Amino acid sequence: MCGFAGIARREARGVAPRILERMAAVLRHRGPDGLGLHADERVGLAHARLSIIDLAGGAQPMANGDGSLFVVYNGEIFNFPALKDELVGRGHVFRTRSDTEVLLHGYTEWGEAMLDRLNGQFAFAIYDRRDGSLFLARDRFGILPLYHAERGGDLYFGSEVKALLASGELPRALDAAGVDEVFTFWAARPPRTPFQGIWALEPGCCARWRGGRLTIRRWYALDFETAAAEQPGAVEQLDELMRSGVRQRLLADVPVGGYLSGGLDSSAVCALATRESSAELRTFSVAFADPRFDESAHQQDVAAAVRSRHAVQHIGPEDIARVFPDVIRHAETPLVRTAPAPLFLLSRLARERGIKVVLSGEGADELFYGYDLFKETVVRQFCLRQPASPSRPRLFDRLYPYLAPGARAGEFWRRFFLSAGSPEDPLFSHMPRFRLTAWIKEFYSDDFRAGLGGFDALGELRDALPPAFVHWSTLQRAAYLEMVTLLSPYLLASQGDRMAMAHGVEARVPYLDHRLFEFAAALPDRSKLRGLHEKHILRRWAANLLPTSAAQRTKQPYRAPDVPAFFEGNAPDYVAELLDETSLKRSGVWDAGAVAGLVRRCRTGQATGVREGQALVAILSTQLWQREFLQTPIESGASKYESGKFVLAN
Amino acid sequence: MSQASSYSPTEIVDRTRTWVRENFLYMRPNWKFGDDDPLLGSGVIDSVGVIELVEFLQSAFPFKIADEEIVEQNLGTLNAIGRFVHAKCQANGTAAAASGGGSAAGAGVLLRPRA
Repeated sequence: MCGFAGIARREARGVAPRILERMAAVLRHRGPDGLGLHADERVGLAHARLSIIDLAGGAQPMANGDGSLFVVYNGEIFNFPALKDELVGRGHVFRTRSDTEVLLHGYTEWGEAMLDRLNGQFAFAIYDRRDGSLFLARDRFGILPLYHAERGGDLYFGSEVKALLASGELPRALDAAGVDEVFTFWAARPPRTPFQGIWALEPGCCARWRGGRLTIRRWYALDFETAAAEQPGAVEQLDELMRSGVRQRLLADVPVGGYLSGGLDSSAVCALATRESSAELRTFSVAFADPRFDESAHQQDVAAAVRSRHAVQHIGPEDIARVFPDVIRHAETPLVRTAPAPLFLLSRLARERGIKVVLSGEGADELFYGYDLFKETVVRQFCLRQPASPSRPRLFDRLYPYLAPGARAGEFWRRFFLSAGSPEDPLFSHMPRFRLTAWIKEFYSDDFRAGLGGFDALGELRDALPPAFVHWSTLQRAAYLEMVTLLSPYLLASQGDRMAMAHGVEARVPYLDHRLFEFAAALPDRSKLRGLHEKHILRRWAANLLPTSAAQRTKQPYRAPDVPAFFEGNAPDYVAELLDETSLKRSGVWDAGAVAGLVRRCRTGQATGVREGQALVAILSTQLWQREFLQTPIESGASKYESGKFVLAN
Repeated sequence: MSQASSYSPTEIVDRTRTWVRENFLYMRPNWKFGDDDPLLGSGVIDSVGVIELVEFLQSAFPFKIADEEIVEQNLGTLNAIGRFVHAKCQANGTAAAASGGGSAAGAGVLLRPRA
């Protein structure tokens, strides 16, 4: 994977190379192995390369044979050998071994319809000099990022927002609705971002820019089928899809490693990777000093079982506070959780050990109903059918033993879930989470609240649901909402691509092979959630692959310390500076008096609940984000471009 | 008359209101929160907040809350808390007097608020 950026002019006035160099330089972390530029009278393209396939021949921007097409591309097309064979059969002549060139020939052969043939994780821009148009596309699930902005008919685009801002031609301002979505869903919902005028191309969408006008269309839509019963041979089919998906994602000219959480999903991927490859697998895990978050014993067991060479990144609260400003710089958004921070450190460890491609278990929980949210939805429905039942709500205690310390919250604990929303609401499954997250908004300043002008993030989401939504089951609806509100904009971005690419590590996601998604989406709910047992078919399949303890282990949510990270021990100076009244008033989002109350409770150890922890992270991360992106110039760091390589300026 | 009866429902409500405002409504100091408004339903406290509330009440007033008493009928509003805590304190005082479990001074020590 790599990073790219560019500008397309409505008028033929060119793009200065120094602007492109600036845009690429801030993406250096994504592609430290090389930089390439193309600029003509209308379009400028910049590419920062992380060499993984065809190390010698895959430089970008890449042109086709007659120079009529240029591509800048970030990602991997895992079925590119088959596509290349097909294209060669149709008379195309290839000059490199890279998957990048397949995009050029595929586009020539099939036009935009090429997208349907791609199996992979990608974002790219193809400049068609024949008609002066630019074609942008993003993969089905939004594994890789792509942003765009328009100003005066010119188009700006890139892998990260900082590249667009580094052009120096776009205003830098906060988008209140985008920020409000972060404090509703955990991330702004594409196409919105927290930056005013800067948009994310939605997963499964493509865009055509021509003559100063951008037209966006969806080329892939998430869909679910209704199946009464599991078809015979479903487990065998799953086995074939998993093996094929992992095998394809081992394709690289560099060693491939794996992230190991200790849970079923990543364990299965790593186990398959060792079976499908002759090379020794390197695996990486985070271990927490706080035993409430730690899964290292399970990780060690799985690493021993799959015979990987295992490395551990130990995480203490002070580590999270130390790297949190870097995390925000890479995530480019306020956050409500610190969970990306350990993954930032983990990618650094992988890179230090010489690994720049890792397999991840992300996506399985959405496909196979692994999250507690799916069980919670079933239990809430079950309880609301007999609201007077005293015994039914006790199921919540079983669901969340780590969130309900002891039984002291009693009835109140359970009523939170039962009062969170009606089953008639299309957002029923997610209302407890949305409501819990939205408590952060209690800390908004009056001015910021007024600036929102009645913006309703939930109302917009309801209005944006696809027509097929009403035909899906409650759990399928939950899976859809999870994928569009959390998977793409938060898990694959803030916890995924951004933290991995912060250190030039490419994360590959076998569960988000679209063939596997479509297989899972056609399974009956009961194959995925049976009673309160999640990922049923995945467990049945993994029984022959993993030790019983790993295959049957109940899902443990990945969490990281929040309040203690910033208020215990030697907290970094920025914490007090950014939570200071003057600083809060200058940035304007938060009410300084309200924050002072929260800080008091954090200092005295009273802020132990989820919602105050989330509020603290939200406030601090917003302050960091504003300082990084809105209050200071976008710098290219200490790097500049010389002779095709990034070099340190000092 | 025991020390326990010195905590009137009004006093209990006032002290609890102050505590709730300092700990759960610090971000909304001007919000009008009535004594009969639901603490949970209005989002003032969450489930972790209930645990804090129970700890506060047990430290501020001389009684213990059993798990089965942590219900909305007893703790759902400030007025409900006033009635419940008052009744519990009175029952404690009566029980202490009936058992002859200590002198008036001893009962005073036993029942003195810890917060």
